[in-house]
Amino acid sequence: MTDAVRTHGLFKRYGQQIAVAGVDLVVPAGSFAGLVGPNGAGKTTTLSMITGLLRPDGGAAEVDGFHVWRDPVEVKARIGVLPEGLRLFERLSGRELLLYNGRLRGIPKPDVEQRAGELLAVMDLADAADKLVVDYSTGMRKKIGLAAALLHNPSVLFLDEPFEGVDPVSANTLTEVLQRYTASGSTVIFSSHVMDLVERLCDWVSVMSAGHIVAQGPLDDVRGGRTLNQAFLELVGRAPNGGEAGLTWLGVQRAEEQQ
Amino acid sequence: MSTVALFAQLKLRLLAGNLRGDLQRRLGFIFTLVIATGLAALGFFLMSLLRLAPADIASSLVITAFSFFLIAWMIVPLLAFGLDDTLDPAKLSLFPLRTRRLAVGMFTASVTGVWPLAMLIVTFGALVGLASNLGGWLLGVPAVLVQFALCVVTSRLITTSLSSALRTRRGRDVLAVAALLVVVLAQLPNLLMNTGFGDPAGMLRQMAAVLRWTPPGMMAHAIADGGLVGLAEIVFVALLVIGLAWLWIKALSRALVTPDVSTQAASVRRESGLIDRFLPDGPLAAVVTKELKYIRREPRFRVGWFSAIVVTVVLSFSLGSTSEGGAGPGVPIVLTCVGALMIALQSGNAFGIDGRSLWMNAVTFGSERALAVDLAGRHLANALIALPLLVAIAVATGLFTGHPAMILPAALTGWGALGLGLGVGSVTSVVLPYTVPERMNAFTGAAPGQGGQAFASAMGATAGIALLTLPFVVPLLFGLFWVSVAAPFYGLLAEVLGRRLAARIGFARMPELLAAVSKPT
Repeated sequence: MTDAVRTHGLFKRYGQQIAVAGVDLVVPAGSFAGLVGPNGAGKTTTLSMITGLLRPDGGAAEVDGFHVWRDPVEVKARIGVLPEGLRLFERLSGRELLLYNGRLRGIPKPDVEQRAGELLAVMDLADAADKLVVDYSTGMRKKIGLAAALLHNPSVLFLDEPFEGVDPVSANTLTEVLQRYTASGSTVIFSSHVMDLVERLCDWVSVMSAGHIVAQGPLDDVRGGRTLNQAFLELVGRAPNGGEAGLTWLGVQRAEEQQ
Repeated sequence: MSTVALFAQLKLRLLAGNLRGDLQRRLGFIFTLVIATGLAALGFFLMSLLRLAPADIASSLVITAFSFFLIAWMIVPLLAFGLDDTLDPAKLSLFPLRTRRLAVGMFTASVTGVWPLAMLIVTFGALVGLASNLGGWLLGVPAVLVQFALCVVTSRLITTSLSSALRTRRGRDVLAVAALLVVVLAQLPNLLMNTGFGDPAGMLRQMAAVLRWTPPGMMAHAIADGGLVGLAEIVFVALLVIGLAWLWIKALSRALVTPDVSTQAASVRRESGLIDRFLPDGPLAAVVTKELKYIRREPRFRVGWFSAIVVTVVLSFSLGSTSEGGAGPGVPIVLTCVGALMIALQSGNAFGIDGRSLWMNAVTFGSERALAVDLAGRHLANALIALPLLVAIAVATGLFTGHPAMILPAALTGWGALGLGLGVGSVTSVVLPYTVPERMNAFTGAAPGQGGQAFASAMGATAGIALLTLPFVVPLLFGLFWVSVAAPFYGLLAEVLGRRLAARIGFARMPELLAAVSKPT
């Protein structure tokens, strides 16, 4: 079986700063994969380059065996994307957004209407379906974004920080939908820095730090008997070292300080 | 005093930090600096030149100018709300600052900057222009400072008391369209002049006689008077400024504890499906449907369309009434073409308003064709509104200028110009894309640092359209009105070719296009 995503030496620099320094990301088809890393590790940049939203300075990316930049038609029909930042067509209602998205991809209107209705119901957005996206809360935006990404039944789904700023109830809805989706053999790749969540959901983990992949493989291999959080801190070189020197004033009562 | 220094420093830091690392932004700032210095010098010079004018005219002019400055200070920051970090009190609300200190600091922050400084210099120009005796010079300095403080405090009071309303979406939507009213108002004096309304000197005297009793008028009068009356006037206005400042502090402490008024989200009507009745199901119908909704719901689109119509109407009045004995038969044609140009120029940056949501299209477009269909949909939506509108303009101008025979050629030429504009516009949209900020104001239509692109795009589109319209404008100028029959076909051809070219260029540089319209604003 081919891998759902495979990149070779993916590279991107912004001026002097190298954001992604030769990433070889591998995600097997059918896995629920987590891309973890500290802030600024290059997760978003990597995902943007694989989904064709950002031009890499070097390297190649393949989705389902198709080259992202040479075969955009095949790739774009196969992927669903939820980027960070949640910018959607704000002056459409949730339902109109889904209709627009599906029809832009050439799905016949009756089919789109049916799928949109079902997605809105599952995402618990039926009441807000006819309100403008500009008035949606963060959780609602993530959910409508996910619905739009799922509408054309992609085989690989890319989600950038899908759970950030989402309340537990909406997060639960999101995970249920995603688990059902991967159970049918599709692939989900999401970036996050919430280790507990990654540990709970994923069967495949790629750890990024400073523009490189520092560990990659099945969840159990990567954590190697530790919790994922411990493994992660060691991998990115920030193992907890007890108290730091300095900061001795922190937590000291004001009254003592003034004496 | 330390508060003043602190906030002045904070503001300068913010200004400097804004410039770091971005060449375009730095160039933009230098440009602003040059303009502001130029305007300050010019303003100071013109004001001081008033010394040479007869005393009563000079004082009338300064009275009018001071009032105008105050009004400008009241309106402009409102339209540009959020341009300046130190001006949003909400950002400072977590610091343990007493309201009094906060007010002093905010006042310092608002006077620290290029434009306030330029304003102060111009105001001092009035002192040179008006002061005639020692008393005038002595009273002039406090008068100028009080006038300046009046401008700043009034402007702060207005933005602060409206800030909670401005933070809601609906409030900002309303304000965006209200910006247009200012544009129209700015045209008013021009229109009045055109209609030859009395003699300018008499008008000025009448206006000054009324404005003389307003606070800025009193300040101008105080400089000219230089006696006890002037002193009384300064004391009165200074007290007024203190009163306004007190109101401002009250408004500030209220604004800091009042939560954002959450907008009551209203439902929108479900789609009627009118478009689907005459378009086959598919991407094209989807784009047209979405685009028509955007024209109706997005304030930036509304502003664009309204201003296109307003400019055309204003031009019709000035062109239609300048030449005595009736306008020439070509005027309806020219006006309809101008209307078409104004409408088409909105499409000169077709992806700018989509901004960061454009990724949603970008992940869908797998081929040039998909992008071409997107552009076609946008053009079709535009044409659905523009074509009838141009007919209306042609009919109105034809009847207004007394050349009803010109209605048909005018409408046909207008349609042709629209097609040309859309074709050229689709090319500039992909070659010179720029971000259109969420909150438009009257001065910039682009994100910080992209003003150059916006300017180049508008100029390029205008030049391209002007050049391409020559083949049918020249014969029309010679009275060969039958040429207009061919204009719509010519326009359609230009639209198709422009769209194909744009799709080819645009698809190849989609990531760059996406980056250009996704700049932070």
